[in-house]
Amino acid sequence: MATPTALPPLPFNPSRARSYLLRLPLFTRLVLLATLVFWLLELQTVWSVVQWGALTPSEINLGTMYRLNTYPLIHMGFFHFLLNVVALTPLLERFEAEHGTLTAVALFIGPLSTLPAGLYLLIEKGIFNRNASVVGASVWVFLLLASEAIRTFKSHPHFSLGSTKIPTWTSPLFVCAVVSALVPNTSFLGHMCAIAVGYLLGLGYLKFFVPPEKILRFLEGKLNLLGRLPHYVSVDQKTFGRYGVLPTSAPVGDRPLPPPRSVVHLQIINNINWVEDTDLMALKSAIRNLRSNPQFLFARLPYILSFICIVAGVVWLALLPLDDYSRRTYISENALLPGQVHAYFSGSEQHVFRGYKKEIESLLPASYHEVQESGVRDAEFTPVVSDKIQSILRAAGLKVATQNYEYSSSGITHQGQNVYAIINAPRGDATEAIVLVAAWKTADGELNLNGVTLALTLARYFKRWSLWSKDIIFVFPPDSKSGTQAWIDAYHDMQPASIQPLPLKSGALQGGLVIEYPFDHRFESIHIVYDGVNGQLPNLDLFNTAVAIAGGQMGIGASLQEMWDHKNDYRARLETILRGMLKQGLGYATGAHSSFMPYHIDAITLQPKGEGWQDEMALGRTIESLCRSLNNLLEHLHQSFFFYLLMHTNRFVSIGTYLPSAMLVAGNFTIMAIALWMRTGYRPRATAAVKPGEKSNDETPSDEKPSDEKSEVEQKSQTEAKDATSTTERQLALPLSLVVGLHLLGLIPLYTFNNLSYKYYTPATYAYILADILLPIFLSALLTRHTSTSTKTNPHQHHLIKSFSLLPLGLFLSTLATLNFSLSFIIGLLCTPLTFIHRIPKTTPAPLRYPLTLAGLILLNLLSPPVVLLATCAYTGTSVETVLTQAAFGWDVWGMWTQVVVWCVWWPAWLSGGALLGCSFF
Amino acid sequence: MSLDRRKVGVFAAAFLLRLLLIVLFPSLPDLLTGRVEVSTPVSSFKRLQEGLFLYTRNVSPYDGGVFHQAPLLLPIFALLPSSRDSPLPSVIFYSLIDLLNANALIAISDSGQAVSGRFYSALRKHIRWDGFAIAAWFLFNPFTIATCLGRSTMVFTTSGILYAVSSAVSGNSFNAMLALGWASYLSIYPALLFIPLVLLCYDVRAQRTKTAPGLAIFVVQHLAVLLLSVVGLLGMSILIIGDFSQIISATYGFQLLVPDLTPNVGLWWYFFIEIFDSFREFFLGVFWLHLTAYVGGLTVRLRRQPLFVCTALLGIFAIFKPYPSISDASLFLGLLPLYRHLFPLMRYTFFAVSALLYATLLGPAFYHLWIYAGSGNANFFYAITLVWSLGLSILLVDTIFAALRDEWELDNPQMRGKDVKQV
Repeated sequence: MATPTALPPLPFNPSRARSYLLRLPLFTRLVLLATLVFWLLELQTVWSVVQWGALTPSEINLGTMYRLNTYPLIHMGFFHFLLNVVALTPLLERFEAEHGTLTAVALFIGPLSTLPAGLYLLIEKGIFNRNASVVGASVWVFLLLASEAIRTFKSHPHFSLGSTKIPTWTSPLFVCAVVSALVPNTSFLGHMCAIAVGYLLGLGYLKFFVPPEKILRFLEGKLNLLGRLPHYVSVDQKTFGRYGVLPTSAPVGDRPLPPPRSVVHLQIINNINWVEDTDLMALKSAIRNLRSNPQFLFARLPYILSFICIVAGVVWLALLPLDDYSRRTYISENALLPGQVHAYFSGSEQHVFRGYKKEIESLLPASYHEVQESGVRDAEFTPVVSDKIQSILRAAGLKVATQNYEYSSSGITHQGQNVYAIINAPRGDATEAIVLVAAWKTADGELNLNGVTLALTLARYFKRWSLWSKDIIFVFPPDSKSGTQAWIDAYHDMQPASIQPLPLKSGALQGGLVIEYPFDHRFESIHIVYDGVNGQLPNLDLFNTAVAIAGGQMGIGASLQEMWDHKNDYRARLETILRGMLKQGLGYATGAHSSFMPYHIDAITLQPKGEGWQDEMALGRTIESLCRSLNNLLEHLHQSFFFYLLMHTNRFVSIGTYLPSAMLVAGNFTIMAIALWMRTGYRPRATAAVKPGEKSNDETPSDEKPSDEKSEVEQKSQTEAKDATSTTERQLALPLSLVVGLHLLGLIPLYTFNNLSYKYYTPATYAYILADILLPIFLSALLTRHTSTSTKTNPHQHHLIKSFSLLPLGLFLSTLATLNFSLSFIIGLLCTPLTFIHRIPKTTPAPLRYPLTLAGLILLNLLSPPVVLLATCAYTGTSVETVLTQAAFGWDVWGMWTQVVVWCVWWPAWLSGGALLGCSFF
Repeated sequence: MSLDRRKVGVFAAAFLLRLLLIVLFPSLPDLLTGRVEVSTPVSSFKRLQEGLFLYTRNVSPYDGGVFHQAPLLLPIFALLPSSRDSPLPSVIFYSLIDLLNANALIAISDSGQAVSGRFYSALRKHIRWDGFAIAAWFLFNPFTIATCLGRSTMVFTTSGILYAVSSAVSGNSFNAMLALGWASYLSIYPALLFIPLVLLCYDVRAQRTKTAPGLAIFVVQHLAVLLLSVVGLLGMSILIIGDFSQIISATYGFQLLVPDLTPNVGLWWYFFIEIFDSFREFFLGVFWLHLTAYVGGLTVRLRRQPLFVCTALLGIFAIFKPYPSISDASLFLGLLPLYRHLFPLMRYTFFAVSALLYATLLGPAFYHLWIYAGSGNANFFYAITLVWSLGLSILLVDTIFAALRDEWELDNPQMRGKDVKQV
């Protein structure tokens, strides 16, 4: 922490450089600043400053005349910028010092940039008919050099090199030649134009551009520029000396020296005022001041940093759809060879398909045939149908088995029977398998008759091929939500008691495809669904293979995330990402394929969409080709990404690119927690003396803290610590137990919402909204009563509570970001107010304090978990009951833990935030 | 001695908490037993079950190369009902051991050796926690609970060490050596504690009796006791197993040569996976030398506080030993509150604790990504074990700094509370 007392000696005298920099006049400073700003702007990639402001001959018209003025301020890169600035500063400083700020402004904004530009345009376009853009302050450098050279020429006409006498006015030409020879990409012509104009200036032909002295003097006198502007150089240098009077910059020695460290501890606050000096060299002392300024360091800076983190996180996400941040998808696993084989599924197989379909349709109840006209079609998966499917599969020569299962969740029982069959690989040893799933009902609850029939036809067709090196398993679950889950659980012997084990098994599953075809007409494109439970995603190679086969081989378009009309522009890409993130964040199963993901089996659902001319055979061929690709695999899909955000069927961002966004949002909580912790350790000595002894606190559990002895001891320690160190002991018991208690309290809603009957979900939600309104106020009342009786240092207690509640929040969210990026990001954003709210200090007048608190609490309640749930339901038009039933089903069946995050991470942090804000009432 | 009511309360609460956890979450013990953070190859309960199975069927437990723990554990566990039917008896047994350990901690705390010894009396000795608070801190530490439910056999080593220290501070140096012998018999490395421990015994003896024996004789006597106790235990082991060379190679050989590179929270496994086999012996030597090198330095530098040397060494073991687990960390964290008076001098507690918390959360997450989800790889988990070790190191170094600073302030009363810069 010690500052070095003496810097090592420098090769030049830094105080001279310092005083030179400090004396730079106003316009020079402004030009340097503008150059710097433009260079910084160029760093981002959204908007190219160079293209905007460069002097490009073909771009110049009446509307883009501004380019004639902007080009000197813009640079191509850091070194271009640096070299030009180093060259320009002394020249410009000298010019301004001699001619005054106003003249410099008038000349450099006007003729001295437009004249060379005009000349350049004339020659470049008119004579050479070329179109090279130029940027950079070198135009001014050469211009000023040339005018200086003329002046030198007047006093010393020649300099001798041996016996030859060279006129001094040629020196800029040499420089220009050397520069264009040594430095690549310099515009020789541009520099020459600048030199020509510089000669004219030096010879005095441009005098008429200089505003008359009378006007300048008038302006200066009227506006009192000399008094108002720092570093201003007057027109009348003779009166005020070469540099005029620089009114506000006091001599350096007069500035108050930073007090020694020990003194700084005494006068902690409010010494920021004298860091006003914007001088470059003052920066060092400013940093030194900052270190001894805890008010800024602990009370302001964390808020600024946290805010920057949040904004940066959101902006980062918004940048992802741009071409520079996303990548084209590619097949990483070479063994897949998508679309390299001919698909033979056609011709007579279509007759088989129609025959199977007729057979199954005949078994459906009469109601199915009646309402077919109205478009609503529904039929249950009856044992008769199951028997039929089994008999068809048996007839095709497959091994068939069934599995009964039963789940119950929120008072609803889900039961059914899975039918499945296995083709043993003719060229394999039954150690690996591919799964094809055709659920009787699609994920949206529609009857998947064509899908089931297609799977049956494919089963018969695949059986006759001899090239399979992996077993192929056909699964026919009665619905998309529970059937596959029961099957895959039992396949890995992880099933609960209510589910039958599988009588027939094969090897390790390498991949899964789900077929959905819930209508009779032909389709246009294939919609690929890929989100798994808890935001897990299949390997990107599988998705890419499906896109490549559907699009490249079969000529069927592919779409994702229900973006039917994807224009592949920024907006559509961002919307696709956001839709994907929402699904990932909610973590529910989006189809039958989702259940495979937790077992590290990559699976996707193929859904035909739209009205077109592709028939079921085309879908069948796509699936055949996909199966052939999967059949080629030599090892489990592992090459490509498991963490990605897709924005188009052939564009994605990988985890390395998008993760910082969620990490920044999560990091803002950690920054705040650390800052608050450090803040509670810092204490002015003056107030440390009045620290009273605290009584034992009745709320603390006995295991947390030894109450009586400790407090006495603590008191003594305080008196000693006062002269021992300036950091103080923190009272950790109350904040720790409060935060731990709140996190445990989260188990109650978690339990309720997962175990209630579905009928009570809506009232329960309202009950929790009510509880969310009352609980913070109740907690804050408790807190206030407690802290006011025990200790007067409750601001510190509040800081600690906030610190301890934000710390686990940041911790959980950053951990979560590695598992489920979207959930972490969404919750992080919803929690951002918690960083910034705090107890409004008692010193605030009551008429301001109460309304503020009330408004804050109302705002906070709008962001409480149940209210957010209600709002989302209202926005999307689904009922709360459906959502919560689904969520409970997810918890019970799919092993979804979105609720855990909501109730044990978000809610406790929210509650403690609310309680802190509520404290301002008391 | 009248029973302290608060102590009874803490013990009962800790015991009930463990029972409650196992009743509410019956699958928890098995889950924890399988976690690499809790169970290492030398302390895994699963492997103990395997050894027990072979032992009860009169086959050498070391056949098959799964079991690597001390033979004397086998007859103890053979007496317990089988844990395959219900984990309850074994968890109750482990909970009782935890309570015993906590009891030893209370004894250590009550002796006051942590704050004032023969040559030394801490400046802030009034800042301290009661014995029962320290016991509560130990018993309610999630790491301790996880170790207990995961039934890692490391707890026996822990209790050996704690009883050695508690006997030493209460002046019972013979028992101290016996307990240390038990701990060393179970897992070698506690033998490194011999030097500070014998110094502690000597200091306590010298404090109590005016005429203390010569230090050299004292050390030799106690070394003899330690060696005899280990030899005695090994003799009993031979009675049980019979094949002496097999015992040695399967237990001590296994611990010294580190052939099993199952991931754990330590730093060795990844290093030895990556290294070429030809360098293996050399680096084994270097790593062990590194671990032992701390003993001498710390003992000399902190001669006045031998108990603190023990604590610091336990922290070092928790970071650098070949098969560390969270139970080592829980032992170190359990001993730390004895130095409550040093807390005001520590500077990075918050960062160290945050790093530990992050590692605790991210470790299982990354392990999941690596092993189950398949979307991560070994580097993920190793990175987190580095963070974990870093957190522990910061805590340890900070504690040592605080102890040195305290000593220094004692020697230089005029410099109390002043910022000091090292040049």
